[in-house]
Amino acid sequence: MIKKRESFFTYTFLILVSVLSIFPLVWMIIATTNESVDIVGGKMTLGTKFLENYANLTAEQDVWRFFGNSFKYAILTTVLSLLVCSLAGYAFEIFHDKWKDLLFKIILMTMMLPFVSLMVPLFQMFSKANLLNSTLGFLLPSISTPFLIMMFRQCAKSFPLEIIEAARIDGLNEWQIFIKMFMPTMKSTYAAATTITFMNAWNNYLWPKVIMTKGNSQTMPMMLSSLTSGYVTDYGMLMLAVLITTIPTAIVFFVLQKSFAEGITGAVK
Amino acid sequence: MKKKIIAFLLTITMVISLVACGQSSDGSGEKSTSGNSSDGGDKTLTVWAWDKAFNIYAMQEAEKIYQKENPDFKLNIVEVAWDDMQTQLGTILSSGDYSQLPDILLMQDFAYQKYIMTYGDLFQDLTNSGIDFSQFSEGKVANSVADGKNYGVPFDNGTEIAAYRTDILEQAGYTIEDLTDITWDRFIEIGKDVLDKTGYSLFSSQAASADILMQMIQSAGGSIWKEDGTPYFVDNEILKESIKVYKELVDTGVMARTNSWDEYIATFTSGKTLGAINGCWIMASIETAKDQSGLWNVTNMPALPGISTATNYASQGGATWGITSNCKNTELAIDFLNKTFAGSKELYDTILPSSGAIATWTPAGESEVYAEPQEFYGGEPVFQLITEFATKTPVFNTGIYYTEANDAIAVAATNVCAGADIDSELKTAEETVSFNMGN
Repeated sequence: MIKKRESFFTYTFLILVSVLSIFPLVWMIIATTNESVDIVGGKMTLGTKFLENYANLTAEQDVWRFFGNSFKYAILTTVLSLLVCSLAGYAFEIFHDKWKDLLFKIILMTMMLPFVSLMVPLFQMFSKANLLNSTLGFLLPSISTPFLIMMFRQCAKSFPLEIIEAARIDGLNEWQIFIKMFMPTMKSTYAAATTITFMNAWNNYLWPKVIMTKGNSQTMPMMLSSLTSGYVTDYGMLMLAVLITTIPTAIVFFVLQKSFAEGITGAVK
Repeated sequence: MKKKIIAFLLTITMVISLVACGQSSDGSGEKSTSGNSSDGGDKTLTVWAWDKAFNIYAMQEAEKIYQKENPDFKLNIVEVAWDDMQTQLGTILSSGDYSQLPDILLMQDFAYQKYIMTYGDLFQDLTNSGIDFSQFSEGKVANSVADGKNYGVPFDNGTEIAAYRTDILEQAGYTIEDLTDITWDRFIEIGKDVLDKTGYSLFSSQAASADILMQMIQSAGGSIWKEDGTPYFVDNEILKESIKVYKELVDTGVMARTNSWDEYIATFTSGKTLGAINGCWIMASIETAKDQSGLWNVTNMPALPGISTATNYASQGGATWGITSNCKNTELAIDFLNKTFAGSKELYDTILPSSGAIATWTPAGESEVYAEPQEFYGGEPVFQLITEFATKTPVFNTGIYYTEANDAIAVAATNVCAGADIDSELKTAEETVSFNMGN
């Protein structure tokens, strides 16, 4: 009896929380099928304006170009930063000595610096190096992040040194050990890191909007911001754009969901 | 081992250079790293603006008109949301690398003073450029003037209007004439009666914004700044009177308060209030409710009671074009603006019917297009009416810290509505703004 009552409360609570977290998504999808004036008026049923909203959106904004830009930046950032940060995390743990540990602490401390405070000097640097409005300019500041390095270092702690010794005796060099042994074992960490980095790169807004001063290199978040900046906001169109922007991160998350949970718990072990 | 390290470093270099190569082949083929403005010989100007349906559209039409005489003239218009532009300008200006600035940029009127004062070399001085500023309404030009120098070419009109649903007013026994040229006292009287009879508030405002208060102050010829630029809230009779009116509007329910912009729009498009009092650009939002066509009409805002300088006119919003100091082809940029936004009736005639952009350039108001009856507003020539309002609008000094003052006054007004003492609230607000100004 007690058990039944307990599970009743658990379920009620869980249902309530699910509704609360799913509602905005459902509302967004419903809104993409309605006209602006109905959305503002609080209409909660599916409408027939989806194609109209799509036509308006593609007529006003070069959506798929910005989508392509966002995609390119996000993929490149993810691949490069995973490579760089996992190497760094591995090296900080496996080859550590007093000086490397100190360096690692300094790297961790940079986590406390808000990006806004670095923006002006970074802009000056990139401007002098002629990297404004370029893919490389977008990528460089986000390739190496202290958080990812720390995550990989924590995971490398669980990687047994004996195996490395054995591999060395068997004649594998350090690169082979990293690529053939460390990388496959740390799959779930890589999956978690992919999710986090991809999402961050996809949603990256402050830095690109500062360095991308030309119209054609804009990204999805910048387009969303433009859609809300007029005297009149077309909410149907806006919601459709938000939906399109949400899809890639949602796909990445759902595909890697299982490993993501494993990877995150692995990191704090 | 050393060899391998070198090999690895080389690989990384290759990857990076590949990425760098990759980007130059994509996109428009322009050189990706060059500055943003035109250089001398080229007849292309770069423009930053927001709002595709309004500002950018107007710029594109201006381009077409100018191209008739100058076929090789071209504009490169970049859409930059206003919030984004502030971040970009802030970064570019504090980094000192002005080469990333466009030739022409659009700026909100309420921020113009701030940028002129803070970054004296952002805009070029247009005083002796040949543009006739006397043809613009005085209150509008004042936004982009500092120390007697003109730094911008005014664009759209933010003249305050009061728009009402005439069908609901009729149900309560009133007409638009009853709400024309009145004071807030009379407005509240009518509002209470309408609310009793129909259940509608007369208009709404956003609780977190003091825009309506600022409009009241402007309409009465008041200011929120002293001569030396410090805040003038305490013992400011006009401000005090405005807050008293505001409190009464809230207490009586004549003005509905909303928490967000979307909610604000919803109050009049989906029927909680029967009107809106705001800059005339609000008409574009009113018109999204197509089923209400023919039921609306426009008149002037109420005046503050008991103030000798009070009028029924103010303005809210609107923007101005500026030529940046990065523009290498100033002559071309000036000539372009002079022959379009400061000299082309054709431009304003084109953009008015399709985007609702009303001119602050007075000669445009004499055009026949402005006198055409507007079906949505019961067949009244509302655009002509609004241009007429514009010429009567008192000059208002937004000051450098307009946003800060607006926020502080909004807090004060909200507290007064909740029962706080008006004098002590104004004192706190004044201190908050002084603190934000670093005094």
